[in-house]
Amino acid sequence: MSKTYRSLKQFFSNFYLVFILIFLYAPIITMMVLSFNTSKSRTQWGGFTLAWYQQMLSDPNIISALYYTLLIAFVSALAACIIGTAAAIAIDSMKPVTKTIVLGVTNIPMLNADIVTGISLMLAFLAFGISLGFKTILISHITFNIPYVILSVMPKLKQTNKSTYEAALDLGAHPLYAFFKVVFPDIMPGVLSGFLLAFTMSLDDFIITHFTRGAGINTLSTLIYSQVRRGIQPSMYALSSVIFLTVLVLLLITNYRPRQKKSIHDTDALSGGAFHKNSLPERIQKSAMAAAAVMILFSVAFITFKKYTTASSNELYVYNWGEYIDEEVVAMFEEETGIDVTYDMFETNEEMYPVIEAGAVRYDVVCPSDYMIQKMIENDLLVEINFENVPNIHQINPTYLEMSKSFDPQNKYSVPYCWGTVGILYNTKRIQELGVEPPDSWHDLWNPALAGEILMQDSVRDAFMVALKDLGYSMNTADISQLQEAKQLLIDQKPLVQAYVIDQVRDKMIGGEAAVGVVYSGEMLYIQEEVQNLGLDYELEYVIPKEGTNLWLDSWVIPANAANKENAEKWIDFLCRPEIALRNFEYITYPTPNDGAFQLLEPELQNNKSIFPDLDHLEDSEVFQYLGDEDDAVYNALWKEVKSW
Amino acid sequence: MHQPLIDLQHISKSFDGTMVLDDLSLTVKENSFVTLLGPSGCGKTTTLRIIGGFESPDTGSVIFDGQEITHLPPNKRQLNTVFQKYALFTHMTIADNIAFGLKIKNKPKSYIQDKIKYALKLVNLDGYENRSVDSLSGGQQQRIAIARAIVNEPRLLLLDEPLGALDLKLRQDMQYELIRLKNELGITFIYVTHDQEEALTMSDTIVVMNQGYIQQMGSPESIYNEPENAFVADFIGDSNIVPGIMLRDELVEIFGAKFACVDKGFGTNRPVDVVIRPEDIDLVAPGQGALSGIVTHLIFKGVHYEMEVTTPDGFEWLVHSTDLFPVGRQVDIHVDPFDIQIMNKPASEDEEAMGVNE
Repeated sequence: MSKTYRSLKQFFSNFYLVFILIFLYAPIITMMVLSFNTSKSRTQWGGFTLAWYQQMLSDPNIISALYYTLLIAFVSALAACIIGTAAAIAIDSMKPVTKTIVLGVTNIPMLNADIVTGISLMLAFLAFGISLGFKTILISHITFNIPYVILSVMPKLKQTNKSTYEAALDLGAHPLYAFFKVVFPDIMPGVLSGFLLAFTMSLDDFIITHFTRGAGINTLSTLIYSQVRRGIQPSMYALSSVIFLTVLVLLLITNYRPRQKKSIHDTDALSGGAFHKNSLPERIQKSAMAAAAVMILFSVAFITFKKYTTASSNELYVYNWGEYIDEEVVAMFEEETGIDVTYDMFETNEEMYPVIEAGAVRYDVVCPSDYMIQKMIENDLLVEINFENVPNIHQINPTYLEMSKSFDPQNKYSVPYCWGTVGILYNTKRIQELGVEPPDSWHDLWNPALAGEILMQDSVRDAFMVALKDLGYSMNTADISQLQEAKQLLIDQKPLVQAYVIDQVRDKMIGGEAAVGVVYSGEMLYIQEEVQNLGLDYELEYVIPKEGTNLWLDSWVIPANAANKENAEKWIDFLCRPEIALRNFEYITYPTPNDGAFQLLEPELQNNKSIFPDLDHLEDSEVFQYLGDEDDAVYNALWKEVKSW
Repeated sequence: MHQPLIDLQHISKSFDGTMVLDDLSLTVKENSFVTLLGPSGCGKTTTLRIIGGFESPDTGSVIFDGQEITHLPPNKRQLNTVFQKYALFTHMTIADNIAFGLKIKNKPKSYIQDKIKYALKLVNLDGYENRSVDSLSGGQQQRIAIARAIVNEPRLLLLDEPLGALDLKLRQDMQYELIRLKNELGITFIYVTHDQEEALTMSDTIVVMNQGYIQQMGSPESIYNEPENAFVADFIGDSNIVPGIMLRDELVEIFGAKFACVDKGFGTNRPVDVVIRPEDIDLVAPGQGALSGIVTHLIFKGVHYEMEVTTPDGFEWLVHSTDLFPVGRQVDIHVDPFDIQIMNKPASEDEEAMGVNE
């Protein structure tokens, strides 16, 4: 009886352990597996490949971000070690009451939410007129790393025999010599684990870096984040896998070291005989010092080098969506004009806006979306473009300039770059199985036969657009009764919806998980290619519902505080050249408003209606407008009601 | 006579408003073994740390061989310290520990090697050069700490309760070891302890301290036999301290009984404190002594019996004797005149602390 009970207990405790481990590590393992997947899809296995790792290593953005990440992690950990160790020694010699208070104060930044630390650091930098960039990230990382060093050095200091330092002085040692020769070796394990902890923390940080970074500098975490919009590329899985393994190794070293040292002592004590004391700490100390010196020299050299190269007056700060340009184009522009481009990426309009508004980084040219351009114009954040410097503006199809008038009434501030529509993507085979006709109306998303087969956009304006258009209202309405109607419609739809998602729509649809989904047209080319590559037995078709839809437009604008306005105009003009626009279209695959580029396309692509829909049929379609903060709040409140229903 | 090696002049020191040393003056002759003895908090370790340079006095000066060193940092002083907890450098070998001071002085390699060998031999630990600190026992570590200090050939060695952490047997061995070392090296020792037996065994001179004042300074014999106040009498060995009245020179009254003594100059009918060591009390048959009492306690101590005799006034006399008197026995107390020590009564507690410095 008790035996079976015990084995049962054993079984459950093992089961529990395995369960916890799976719970903790399944996501990471999934990511690692996907980093070897030939297909870009997250749900389809296309075979084993190392291509993503290769792509990662050959992408200059990733290599630069990797370089900065490691440099910042190393230099900040080193600086934090020096400052933190000195602080720990000072704190250790304080009276108990002061010690408790000071330790408490130094611990607060560690407990503080990252976002609070990040924002307050950014505000402090701006208040003191320090422009955001490499050095602000570095200072921030040093700041949040110091408490970790103090935390790991303090216990070691407590363990050390205070009189060894005095003994060294007594034997004629200079205080500094005594510290490095006698005290430091004793606290070395603490300093080392503090260093590794700080290094890991720095590698790990996203939020603080995000707030304190400036133009043209990315760490791996901010780089990955900036690519979320287009869907994270598998090369990022590869990169994340590499980071995870690096951190894992560092943690193993940190935890393994002290135990190893102790075991040496134990054998010493046990053997009792003449045992040559291992001089390992001294060796480690020396090589660490040497490595540190080399790294410091290296980074100083690099920073100065960077400074000199960017000190040229002929420069341009570009702020664009992630993955929204062919890298080659930037290089071609630099080569042709001799202008140094500092290229930076954002992930959402809402993220870009405060950066421009605060003037934290003075970008020369930015690529926001329609409604955001309207908001920026209303808030005097933009400057008029001198079109004499943009002769290629005539390459832009006038239709799009007309479309732009909804947010830039006189076409004075913006030049269209990419555009697209929102529509319904459907699985031809699946709807046939369900006995449903191919959708051509937003109303089809309320068809009970599609229960559990619908994917909706998880964003307030997109979701309301669907309902408002279905009701025949404007998607920019502020009429509360129309909005209430739309809200009720969305609530009615809820039982039919499988999930509210953002860019997973793409993968879920490719994976055949749902029959219909609301998607942005931009990636149709990619989706159709992927379905073909995977050899799937179904097709995904895109349709713009007959009630009209959201036409979206991303355009280049010049911020009012731009320092290199003429260079910005050169940039815009360069991107309007047909062959350049074509290159970008082939890379981005979003529809281009550039007529010259369109004419260069193969007829097959020109006629692909899911990519280039006939604009004549879109008379009921609209461009999002900025509604103002009050109406935004109404939309958000109603959306919250829908989501929590 | 040449000048003293150490001359402390009017040293005062307080920590956080608490006076630890109050106008302390002390001279130490070359080649002597001086022990600072007192209960914890009496200021003995602070005195040693001021000599070593780890604390600087608030007022007063430290003179070393005629030169003022009051504010000289420890690494510039011609003396070495053996710390209470040995303070060996655990990440170095024994040889590296011993060589530490010599390397700083840039002594040649061969000289250092010779010194290490010599020092290890001196402390009876030959062949321990490459051992690690952790593999040594407490006594061995203490001997290494001494070796590390003496290879620098200091003129003065400061020892801060160096045997405090050792067990009794080892402590006794080390006491002899230290006396031997001192004689072989011919250097001056200043030794701090709270253990009166250690002080009596090893020192030429004992300085008894309490609450930042020197209570009495002298040879072990004089400290033991002629304590100058109640504190010293009580701290050094066991004593019976009783109130008495000095009737005239060489006669004192205790609890109404008259005792002959050898002290003079206290005047007549003056209240005094009388110190009588327990081993100086002879228990005799009733009617044969000056005071009579009854044995109330008896403990066997090995070399002698320890007894308590209660006299009618209620005082319990501590008596050490090799003769056994069982509990309940009526006895008389007899004390030889030269075994009675007369002391002035302190007028206040403060005066009591200040002792003979006054």
